[in-house]
Parts: sequence; structure tokens; C-alpha cells
Amino acid sequence: MDSDVILVIVVATALAFDFTNGFHDTANVVATSISTGAARPQVAIGFASLLNFVGAFISISVAATVAKDVVDAEVITPTIVFAGLIGAIAWNLITWYFGLPSSSSHALIGGVVGSAVAAVGFDAVIAEGLVGKVLIPAVVAPILAFLVAGAAIGISYRVVGRQRPGIVSRGYRYGQIVSGGLLALAHGTNDAQKTMGIITLALIASGELGAEADPPFWVIASSATAIALGTYSGGWRIIKTTGTRIIKMDAAQGFSAQGAGSAVILASTHFGFPLSTTHVINGGIMGAGAGKRLSAVRWGVAGNIFVAWLLTLPAAAAIGGLTYGFTRIFGTGALGPILVTLMALSLVVAAFARRAQRGAPVTAAGG
Amino acid sequence: MIATIVHTDELLQTVAASVIAGIGVTFLFSLGIWGAGQFTELSRSERPVAATAAAVVGAVALLCVAGAVATGIVVMTHK
Repeated sequence: MDSDVILVIVVATALAFDFTNGFHDTANVVATSISTGAARPQVAIGFASLLNFVGAFISISVAATVAKDVVDAEVITPTIVFAGLIGAIAWNLITWYFGLPSSSSHALIGGVVGSAVAAVGFDAVIAEGLVGKVLIPAVVAPILAFLVAGAAIGISYRVVGRQRPGIVSRGYRYGQIVSGGLLALAHGTNDAQKTMGIITLALIASGELGAEADPPFWVIASSATAIALGTYSGGWRIIKTTGTRIIKMDAAQGFSAQGAGSAVILASTHFGFPLSTTHVINGGIMGAGAGKRLSAVRWGVAGNIFVAWLLTLPAAAAIGGLTYGFTRIFGTGALGPILVTLMALSLVVAAFARRAQRGAPVTAAGG
Repeated sequence: MIATIVHTDELLQTVAASVIAGIGVTFLFSLGIWGAGQFTELSRSERPVAATAAAVVGAVALLCVAGAVATGIVVMTHK
């Protein structure tokens, strides 16, 4: 009975994480398009939401957990997964509150690593995987996107420099619709699979599925729906940071950042070197700004983003570890996860109530 | 040791493909815009041959971009 309750809680928490993932990462896909006027905010978000949904159905080949390369799969229990998800959700909400684009994948990995360490110690961590699959790509992604977007914007300005501004802006705005669409598809394909993997892992761990089973259709459909709904909800605070606070973007810069971002993400997907969409897009935006003029980048804002990236793994790990420790106070049954879920829901309700009292949220209209 | 952990081959392939695709697609798309702009300008100044040549360059460049987008979608579906 307890294991069934924990399984239901893990599935619901994974879908909640998926929602925050879409919500948090909307900015990666739409911020440049909105900022340059390539698409109206609600249209851009609706389009991104639809393509995230479609993207989730494109492939299930990597629907294993993102954490399996960094944590010993033998030690994973549904409660460890639950605590890791709470760590990831909490860090996503904290960075959203401060309008900081950070990697949801890293938050999930950090959360699961933290809860696994709290459960069985540092032996649970696969150091090679952590360095090779998480830390090195975290350094490579923004630098690569920065350089590619910087070179791309320099070439763009040379090619179209003598053309009438009207046709140039219109052209790049049309291009952004396509590059934004590609990014949204890639995001749905990559990120919804993390949730599918987590739910599938929980189903396998509880004996509901065989060890080699693919995700059932209901898992794929619910993950696709959660990430699409999250994307549609739009994390406006982060959209504002990504779209307007890092650089003041023209259409060519928006296209270069998105085009370079799409190329880097798809190349990394093809060659099996996983890079964070958030790191790539934000690195690309900084590169597109610096390619025009170094001082065009607001380095203070960029610095805050870098700090958030540095903190993502340890902070999510700390929250995941503490959550696991708290659940264990109540034994190995379902009581601990139930209490954490109730506390988390209370916090969310209280936060929304406080915000409703303080005034209108940051939205497309409100900026 | 580091090379084993990082999977240097995958990293270098990713870097090379990113640079080629990222810069290449942006260059080709810019060429498409250049072609459209030149076509408009040259048509106005009644130079139909040059205008047609610019339009062809632009159209070919945009076709290449369309091919790159299709390749991107294929990459997603075959991973």
C-alpha cells in the first residue's frame, strides 16, 4: 500500500517538475523572438507550447533518467527520486523568482545526487559521469554558443550591412520563427524525456514495469502535456531577463543567437554530447551581443546568471538531501513524502496568495 | 584520464558541427536576405539580369537553409 502511495506521489511530483521545466525554459525558446518583435508574446508562447508537446512524441530513445549516468542506479528508490525532484522543483522556482535562467536538467541531476548521497553516502555518485556528462558540458555549452553566435553575427552584419533596414529586420524576424520552432521541438524532445525517464524508473523500481520496458503511452502523453502546459504558462521573469536584460537585441542578433543555439543543440544531440539548452541559448545571446560590441552585453546581469549556474547543482543537491533526510524522520513509508508534498503545496499556495495581495504578476503585457 | 571522462571525440565533433552549422546557416540565411534586398534594389534601377542573379543566389541560399532545418528535424527523430 505504502509503495503504491509513494509511486503516485513520485509520478505527480515528476509531472510537477516537468511543468516547472516548461515554465522555466519558455524563455530559451521565445525570449529572443518576443524581444525583437518576431512574434507577439502569446503567439510565440502558444507556438512554443505546441511544438514542445509535439517534440515530446518524436523520440523516446533516451527516455532513461538523466541521473543514471551520475548516480548508481542500484541504489535509487522512489523516495530518493521524490526528494531529488523536490530539490529540482525548488531550485527552478527560486531561480524563476529572481528571473535567472538556469538549467532544469542540472537542477534535476543535483537534486537526485543530493538525495542519493543523503541516503547511501558519496559511494552512490559516479564521479566520471558527473564530470563528463554534467560539469564539462556546463563549461563547453555557453562558451561554444558564445563563440558561434559572435562569429555568426559578425558575418551577418557584413553580408546584409548595405541593405535597407526594413527588409533586413523583416527577413531575420521570419528566420526567428523557424529557428524558434526548431528550438521548441528540440526542447520538447530532450526535456520531456527526462520526466518520462523518471516516471518509468519509478514504475520499474515498484515492479509495475519490466526492467527493459519503454515508457507506456500514458507516461509519454502526460509528460508531453505537462511540459506544454508549463511552457504555455510562460515564465515571464526569465523571459524578461533573457530577452531584454542581457543585451538590447536587434533582429539579426536574435536570429544569430537562436540559429547558433539550434545548431549547437542539434549537433550535441547528434554526437551524444549533451548540452543544456539554457546554457546554450544564454551563451548565444551574450555572443550575439559581444559580436557587435563587447560593451553591448550587460556583464553584471551575465555575472548573476553565471552565479546561478554555479549554484544550481549544489543548491538542488542540498535541498534534495535535506528533503530525503526529512522524509526518513518518518520512516521508509509514505508518511514522509506525503508530509513534504503537503508542505510544498502549502508554500506554493502561500506564495501565490502573497503575490495576489502585492499586485499583478510579471506578464506579457506588464513586462 | 580527462580524455576518457570527457569523450574527446564526441566533444570535438560537436564543436566542429556546431561551428559549421551555426555560422553556415546564419551566413546562408543572411545571403537569402541579401538576395531579396538586391533583387528589390536592382529591379527598381531596371537591371533585370543582375536582379535575377541576386534572386537566384538568395533563393539557393534559402533552400540550403531549408535543407539544414530538415536535417535538424531528422537528427531529432533519429537520436
